[in-house]
Amino acid sequence: MSDDLAIILTAGLLGTAAGLLGPFLVLRRQVLLSDAVSHAVLPGIVIVFLLFGSRAPVPVIIGAAVFAVICVLGIEAIRNTGLVHSDAAIGLVFPTLFALGVLGVTEFAEGVHLDLDSTIYGEIAFTPFRTWEVFGVEVVRSLPLLGAVTALNVLLLALFWKEIKVTTFDPSFARVNGISPVVISRCILVAVAITAVTAFESVGAILVVTMLIVPAATSYLLTVRLLPMVLVSVGIGWISAMGGYSFAISMDASIGGSMGMVAAACFVLALLFAPRYGFVTRALVRARRRSAARKPAEAGT
Amino acid sequence: MDWLIDLLPLSYTDSVVFLGAVILGVAAGVLGAFAVLRQRSLVGDALSHATLPGVCVAFIATGAKDASTLAIGAAAAGLVAATMILIIERTDRIRPDAAIGVVLSGFFSLGIVLLTYLANFNNSNQAGLDTYLFGQAAGLLEQDLTVMGLLCLISLAGVALAFRPLKTALFDMAFAGSVGLPTRLLELAMTAMLVIAIVIGVRTVGAILMVAMLVVPTITARQFTSRLSILLVLSGLFGAAVGSIGALISNSGGLPTGPVIVLVGFVFAMTAILLAPGRGVAWRAGKIMRDRRRAATEGVLIDLETALHAGAPPTPEELATVSGRPLRTVKRALTDLDRAGSLRRDGDRVYLSEAGAAAVHTLLDRRDLWTLWLEYGWRLDIPDAREPDPRRLRETLGDDLTDQLLAMASEEQAGS
Amino acid sequence: MSTETDPVASPGQAPALEVERLTVSYSSRPVLWDVDARIPAGRLAAVVGPNGAGKSTLLKAVVGLQGVDTGRITVEGFPASSALDRIAYVPQRDEVDWDFPITVEEVVEMGRYRSTGWIRRLRAEDRDIVADSIDRVGMTPFRKRQIGELSGGQRQRVFIARALSQQAPVMLLDEPFAGVDARTESALLDLLAGFRDEGRTVIVVHHDIATVRARFDWALLLNVRTVACGPVAESLSDRNLRRAYGGVSGEGDPEGATWIG
Repeated sequence: MSDDLAIILTAGLLGTAAGLLGPFLVLRRQVLLSDAVSHAVLPGIVIVFLLFGSRAPVPVIIGAAVFAVICVLGIEAIRNTGLVHSDAAIGLVFPTLFALGVLGVTEFAEGVHLDLDSTIYGEIAFTPFRTWEVFGVEVVRSLPLLGAVTALNVLLLALFWKEIKVTTFDPSFARVNGISPVVISRCILVAVAITAVTAFESVGAILVVTMLIVPAATSYLLTVRLLPMVLVSVGIGWISAMGGYSFAISMDASIGGSMGMVAAACFVLALLFAPRYGFVTRALVRARRRSAARKPAEAGT
Repeated sequence: MDWLIDLLPLSYTDSVVFLGAVILGVAAGVLGAFAVLRQRSLVGDALSHATLPGVCVAFIATGAKDASTLAIGAAAAGLVAATMILIIERTDRIRPDAAIGVVLSGFFSLGIVLLTYLANFNNSNQAGLDTYLFGQAAGLLEQDLTVMGLLCLISLAGVALAFRPLKTALFDMAFAGSVGLPTRLLELAMTAMLVIAIVIGVRTVGAILMVAMLVVPTITARQFTSRLSILLVLSGLFGAAVGSIGALISNSGGLPTGPVIVLVGFVFAMTAILLAPGRGVAWRAGKIMRDRRRAATEGVLIDLETALHAGAPPTPEELATVSGRPLRTVKRALTDLDRAGSLRRDGDRVYLSEAGAAAVHTLLDRRDLWTLWLEYGWRLDIPDAREPDPRRLRETLGDDLTDQLLAMASEEQAGS
Repeated sequence: MSTETDPVASPGQAPALEVERLTVSYSSRPVLWDVDARIPAGRLAAVVGPNGAGKSTLLKAVVGLQGVDTGRITVEGFPASSALDRIAYVPQRDEVDWDFPITVEEVVEMGRYRSTGWIRRLRAEDRDIVADSIDRVGMTPFRKRQIGELSGGQRQRVFIARALSQQAPVMLLDEPFAGVDARTESALLDLLAGFRDEGRTVIVVHHDIATVRARFDWALLLNVRTVACGPVAESLSDRNLRRAYGGVSGEGDPEGATWIG
């Protein structure tokens, strides 16, 4: 497999895994919670590394998931005191957890295989060199990993589509009908954490957050129904992966950063030209209406 | 700045870091309050990330590396990002949280790309990004301090001068507009203040942790005061305390400054949330416990009165049986009553002292008053539906209304 | 209750609020479309109509919070934009952060800021006006409380006191009775009627037709366009209500009526 293909596939798989979850974060107004969770998993990674000396996927994912839950529970606990608004609670909890992680890295794990650079902003350019031997065939490690996470997210949506849909749309109705919005919400955020931590070493925290948020927000401007929103969001993830890669190669710039920029560019285009919600589109409609409204008025005078 | 640095009993570098952390704390504390109180603290998170491309562009454009040029670039990018957030929210389709997230991601991606672009020319590695993300307090120079200090002073003066318009806009934007205040300008001013706080702080604590410095002082201060003016002062002081303590700990332990400051801040905020008098979680829990205990004690007091009416003074055990309460509760209540001087004891048996009898009367009167309120209260001409506290009805209603209520009731009973 | 047909109370006196050919649109849909309305001075007037009829938008347009596509708004004969000191506006309360660190007294003081100047200290007379306003709405015992510690009706009183302290001849209130019980609503209405009796014009966005019939003397019935504007007895005729609510009478059943709008 060529390096180019490996990188694009890795980013595309991330775009898929994240694009599946993103729409629900946007609809549930949990975008920033997902950003918080993506950062808060760092101490989980560090602790697992300190305890087991490994970055093996399964223990790291468990450690990350534990801290994702700690982060969410902590934010909720603080918010539920009624003394702090939820935005401030988020702004208090996740930097604290992240600071713990940074201290752990700099104090105990520096110089070993765990450095901040690769954890936080990763370097997707190196993914082709991290390989696994599977039945004598060399496989780029990120592909089966992200593939598994994507499959997990697909499974989550396929199994609980109805539940996720109803808790997103009308949480109190769901609760009355025996579906716990809290449980569903936790599941989604744990999935976010797993996606984030798996993608960390290949693409880094920043690109994960970007892939979770930007394609979904873009898709929200373009679609009015749930399933199309999810699919378009995944599609924009792929567009960002491919477009970003070619941009990065031609400009010799950061690949992850370029992908994020392409995603953001898609958003800006949608913001301006989306059929129903775009600024330009709406300005045109408004101008037409206004002239229509003025005509009878003028005719009257 | 020289004299200040000389004044501190620290090494030169440590003094600079210490002062930087204090300025950061004051700025983030006072200016951050205007974001936190509007429930837009996470805009601060987005803007901290969004200053990166500004720094890069300033560097590319001027080639200068001095603090003020880069600060101008950072501030410009922050303002642009803040404006973008507002514009995106105006679609009505994208909600504030998504708008903030999109701008954060977009600007930061741009920043990373620009940084690699820089690296290609300068042969420098990506150490710049590390510094940017996690802060590098040790890299602060004396001239940085001067810039930071001036920015901080100017914006604090601005807050003091425009305190009333800011307070009005912060509390009630619609009202502010209706009395002719320039709401757009005030909104811009508040955003600019947030950007200034970030520009001052991001070098020390870094982009990711900056948001904690913005929220911690306000969260802490809010638990101790319900007045905005006092809150701003307290917030600045708490910010300075967090910054300086964090800087000292990190100096003595050889730990990275940003994370340590944030952890100290967390301790401050949580202490306030838990222990603040009148508001804190522990304080409220204590009040609930005291209230419950008082309710139990009053209940036992009335049971005792009933038992005394029925026969001889009971023992605690008998009282427990008669009243159907656990013996432990009864004993604890009796201890409380003893302490209040309401009890007399005759060996094992208890009966009421004069004070105790009076207490029972007051209690029964209050109960009766509540019954009367339920029966006749609707006829009282009270201004609006109060939410009366059954135990303190007289206090909630006021003496006038209470007397009216009693008069009404006695009239009614005389009539029937 | 006034039942006169002539909308101008006394010749030569400009109406408290006059709106001519006003069109306002959000994004692409017109919310107010070629609206004309006139509310004479010294009335307790209601702005009535189904949800989405543009009631709040009208008030916002008057105080300049909402941009206007076209049209003219005058307050006591002056263009609204230069008559802000003649208007006291009480916005909808649903966006207020009740945990905000501010006391009752401070909220009411805001009403004096404009006339005192935004930087100068409040004068003794301002403090008197603030104290009087608080007293007038019966909140004096609560003046040092943080606003979150009040009941719904009391909170609304605070905002009415703030409007009162502005000492403006025209008061605009946007859904002031949302979320308060009937008894409180009635008490607040007494208060507003008192302001009217002192010669002020009080304009209230409301959705309960029965209350408007019983307590108000002027009504502007709105559904994107003006359906009727005049003394309550005329403007709230069954025919007009049917036109405004699209066949469903709003009488005593605002919820039933709103699904149409």
